[in-house]
Amino acid sequence: MLRLLATIKKEWLLLLRDRTGLALLFAMPVVLITVMALIEDAPFRDYQELRFDVLTVDNDHGRLGKHIREGLALTGQFNIIDTLDGKPVQEAQALDKVNAGDYKICIIIPQGATGAIVSNANRIVNDLSKRMGVPAILPVSTRKDSLNVWVYFDPASKKAFKSVIHQAIDNFLTQVETDLLLERIKQQLKNKDIVQQDSMVIQLKAVGLKEQLTGPSQQLDVISNSVQHNVPAWSIFAMFFIAIPIGGHMIREREEGSLVRIRLIPGSFLDILGGKLLFFMAVTVVQFYLMMMVGIYLLPLFGLPKLMMGNSHLATFIIAVSIGLAATAYGILVGTVFKTPNQALNFGAISIVILSAIGGIWIPLEIMPAKMQLIGHLSPLSWGLDAINDIYLRNRGVQHIWLHVGKLIGCAVLMLCIAAGVEQRRIS
Amino acid sequence: MCGLGRCVFQETGSLETLIEIMTSILVQDLHKTYKGALEPSLKGLSFSFEKGMITGLLGPNGAGKTTTISIICGLVSADSGLVTVFDLPQTTAHREEIKQLVGIVPQQIALFPQLTAIENLEYFGNLYGLKGKPLRTLIDEYLQIFGLEQNGNKAVHRYSGGMKRRANIIASILHQPKLLILDEPTAGVDVQSRSMILQFLRDFNAKGASIIYTSHLLDEAQTICQEVAIIDEGKLIVQGTPANLIAQHPECQHLEDVFLYYTGHAVRD
Repeated sequence: MLRLLATIKKEWLLLLRDRTGLALLFAMPVVLITVMALIEDAPFRDYQELRFDVLTVDNDHGRLGKHIREGLALTGQFNIIDTLDGKPVQEAQALDKVNAGDYKICIIIPQGATGAIVSNANRIVNDLSKRMGVPAILPVSTRKDSLNVWVYFDPASKKAFKSVIHQAIDNFLTQVETDLLLERIKQQLKNKDIVQQDSMVIQLKAVGLKEQLTGPSQQLDVISNSVQHNVPAWSIFAMFFIAIPIGGHMIREREEGSLVRIRLIPGSFLDILGGKLLFFMAVTVVQFYLMMMVGIYLLPLFGLPKLMMGNSHLATFIIAVSIGLAATAYGILVGTVFKTPNQALNFGAISIVILSAIGGIWIPLEIMPAKMQLIGHLSPLSWGLDAINDIYLRNRGVQHIWLHVGKLIGCAVLMLCIAAGVEQRRIS
Repeated sequence: MCGLGRCVFQETGSLETLIEIMTSILVQDLHKTYKGALEPSLKGLSFSFEKGMITGLLGPNGAGKTTTISIICGLVSADSGLVTVFDLPQTTAHREEIKQLVGIVPQQIALFPQLTAIENLEYFGNLYGLKGKPLRTLIDEYLQIFGLEQNGNKAVHRYSGGMKRRANIIASILHQPKLLILDEPTAGVDVQSRSMILQFLRDFNAKGASIIYTSHLLDEAQTICQEVAIIDEGKLIVQGTPANLIAQHPECQHLEDVFLYYTGHAVRD
């Protein structure tokens, strides 16, 4: 125990003397998380949170144009722009603006669109009336050609974005057509004294659509915001970066000869290794909670949402320790395999960036291609992130994270065994 | 038991007592070839050093000194041969026991440069199982002996070369070893530091410790060593007291002449 405690104290003193190392371990991740959360805030916001300017050229000046404008405005996602420099937007001008990328969407409602819908409704009602033996009296236009509402997109717009807009406008058109048709039916029936005015209620939506999350979580707004992804993700990234100072320390100890001196002292080397492991694990856990504090207290000051940590603090602690163990073991492996601090630095940094990229740290694993998702699930960083998402987003507890914890601990043990084998081979 | 065949019979009164002169180190027919090496480092090296002596293990670069020391202290395993330390065979079963008996002063400054001398010594003392006031008293005592009492709280990387060497020695003797092995302990130090180190070695030896000392400074070895063993190309070339070795060769006036006589003038890499 004395050897273990002495090693912990020695590592603590070495870390305190290394101010650059301290800054790298604690200050840099704070900056990283803040910057990444701010940068990725917009992409993480869903369409309900974002507002787009929509150029609208209303040549109809009728009910359809009004309905489309009001409907789009009501969603809260669109700002309707129908004047530029105080003048109504012209069609050619609107197309230029969209082509230039100044606006993402332009909607052109053709002249006579509402009239065409009314005429079509009248024709249907007249047709139905005739079949029912009622005189058809509603006026019908003789116009043969069909009209279209034109939607122009910025060429750089994403397919999903176009699809959402297309569906929304299609819904408005259907709704206006349905409303007008029902109005005409009611009017025809009223004219023939079949029903009293205001006594007929036609409800079209018999079945509605409501969103509800599964699981015990009540935090509906938590999912998929920048803070909920970036804070845990980049915290895990920062924790794994401890591999670089650990690897560097170990190589320097070997080069300077202090490792040989330690080996010449009677007693198990496991005490020394255990002290190193425990100390750096503790450092990574402190790092983790410091980053969580950034998510809870600092990021909201920049207008970002507050980090929600779920309800199981024990599960959070267990996974933080497991990630710390895997990160420390990785550092020991790097420090054992490589011969110079430069090799350890380069390999350590690049390998962690790769593991983080495939492990869903940069962008969530769910939006990666299927093959990359498969590869991504091999990264220890993804195991940690999955577990944290289970705790934070799905409000799960200790019993749900054991698989991830087991994988992280198993990986740590494997890396330590490889390191021991390499060291043994080096000595022999 | 006279493992080495070097026994002294002494008569005390009416009793004839056999006093066996134990060896500090016995090396017999030691062979070692490192993986990937073209030449073996040790080719049947054999020697023995008496307990309580200051013995010089001398040889040119590549002679096999460091390999021999590494095998003696258990850092490296020999391919074949026997090594005993105070009659304990250097095997896995006795390795920990031997570590407690032996102190190694490596050629490198095997300390943590960012830590102070006291922090380093406390750490290594703790690893030997020493702690608290006894450890602190021991550290203070040694810092005083080595003239570092005013600089004990200074980081080692701020020490001069001589101060580092002295601190390096203290870290190796905290556990009061019976055998101290020093690998070029005075390399690159000034005259004052060298004098202090050599005086300490004499005092330490006077208290009963055996000392094995390697150096390329042969005038120093001639002064301090009671016996020397010159090895080259992994084999023992000659062993004896400096005075005897010089006397055996009328053309040699110094140990360095004897050394060059046996190892030649060709430069070694």
